[in-house]
Amino acid sequence: MKKALAVVVAVVQLAMCLVALSGVARADETKMVGVITKIDLAGKDAKTATVVLKDVKTEELVEIVVEDDLTLDKFKDHRIVDGDEIRCKYEVKDGKKLSTYFRKTAGC
Amino acid sequence: MRRSAAVASALVALLQAPGAFAAEHPGRSQIEKDGYKGPSTCEECHPGKAKEFLGTVHWKHASKVDNVDNLDPKQEYGMKNRIYTMCNGNDIVNNLKEIPKNADGKSKFTGCNTCHPGNHLNDVGSTGPEAEAAVDCLVCHSTEYDFRQRKPYKDEQGRVVMGQDRSTKAALAIGKPTVKNCMTCHETAGGGVLVKRGFSFTKDTDAHAAKGMVCVDCHQAKDHRIPTGFDPNNWANDDLRVSCDGCHGEKPHKSADYNRHTAKIACQTCHIPRTGGAVAKDFTVWEKGGDGFYEPTTLKKDANETVPVYAWYNHTVRNEPHFIGPKGSRKDGKSKIYPFKIYMGKAFYDAKSGKLLSMDFAPPMANGDTRAGVESAARTLGMKDPAAVAKAAVPGWQTIYFGSNHLVTKSKALNCVNCHGVNGVLDFRDLGYSAAEVKKLTNPELYFKQLIEKQKEEW
Repeated sequence: MKKALAVVVAVVQLAMCLVALSGVARADETKMVGVITKIDLAGKDAKTATVVLKDVKTEELVEIVVEDDLTLDKFKDHRIVDGDEIRCKYEVKDGKKLSTYFRKTAGC
Repeated sequence: MRRSAAVASALVALLQAPGAFAAEHPGRSQIEKDGYKGPSTCEECHPGKAKEFLGTVHWKHASKVDNVDNLDPKQEYGMKNRIYTMCNGNDIVNNLKEIPKNADGKSKFTGCNTCHPGNHLNDVGSTGPEAEAAVDCLVCHSTEYDFRQRKPYKDEQGRVVMGQDRSTKAALAIGKPTVKNCMTCHETAGGGVLVKRGFSFTKDTDAHAAKGMVCVDCHQAKDHRIPTGFDPNNWANDDLRVSCDGCHGEKPHKSADYNRHTAKIACQTCHIPRTGGAVAKDFTVWEKGGDGFYEPTTLKKDANETVPVYAWYNHTVRNEPHFIGPKGSRKDGKSKIYPFKIYMGKAFYDAKSGKLLSMDFAPPMANGDTRAGVESAARTLGMKDPAAVAKAAVPGWQTIYFGSNHLVTKSKALNCVNCHGVNGVLDFRDLGYSAAEVKKLTNPELYFKQLIEKQKEEW
């Protein structure tokens, strides 16, 4: 009986660990450097943009959703354009890769 | 009565809110009718402004400097010609140009003067009618500037020209410079976003931005001259200065104890507890990026990610090949304790003179050859035997103290314990206090009763 209880407790603990870890993984930010291949911005007053980055390491195309005003403004006045290399962090929420950091790698 | 007072104060607040009822810039119909023709259009109502602008640091990238060691008081210094390790290039040796092709056969335009508000044909420090006509008024004054137009290109004669947006649309959106106008250049200085000074000016990072203020509310221009503070690393100035007490006075706190501090402690020390930006850079080794071009190896931090160092500063600057930083002491009667962003940069030094050498970025950006960059810069500056100078050049580090004057906070400002606790942020011994004084300065007797009262108020 004791042994069975111990097994149940161990299984529950393992399950709790897995749940906790998967939660952490969801909240984790992924970092990448990529070159912009496409910017979709719905008009001047757009509150969101979808950007496709080509990962410089894997060459994989990654679709990022950008919602912060400062970056959106840079799309609108073309301070950030196709071909710019970007250092990006994103979180996955509801299946979308939501940008938390989106900056050009180059400077002056 | 109370209600009408509330309505009145709400109206006053609305009127004071920046941009709430932004007046339309006069002359709109004229610009619509005639189109925008550059500074001549602006000068119809603002005569003499283009010529006036040519005399400012924004155009000259230099000025006479009277508070820094080892400079010639008759010469002008600034981005135009300085040699130090945040940039290592300058407008002269790293002039905007098309760089050699990289291994992938690609080239690009780059140079320190990319941000200069001219057209490059009329460049840093140029004068005369052509220069006046080349001023890019709208890049600072329009909120509808299309930055696709502001790209370098080669004209029919092979000259490198910086494009400008001179559209009527941009001209119809003119006014006082916004934060965006200023940050377009100032946030990317030093080789990347927030690399040099490491501050962003947003409601989340600065108490003034949170109040709706813009850069020029503090840096209030006079005839296009912009007041600046006394950052030990920002030498060029328009001979106008800005400081906190200009608005806040010398006794800005309700607490007399806090106000007593202002004689010896700069406002920034308590109200800017964090810094950000590049911590260190290596100009002797450049890293290849995903686009096939090379950039100096840079250790970056974001805004508010690093802590400052504290030192006495009397607004004069020690300037040596391996150090640029504040001068001052506890006892000189002029100094206050200020916070600084500390930075270290590695670059090449002249083997004979020990002086720091500068670099043309074109060769290393294309192929990583940093000594070729030193050779090119030495040639531009007319140094004897540039190839030998570059070959013998010795790598070394330079420490720079940057002023820490943004990222202002009220809610997270340092309080008594942050400095006077035994593990406080100020190293009193290093700041010149004796062991007995340090013991007294870090004893709770100093602040205990005051903070207990505050604790009671808060809870």
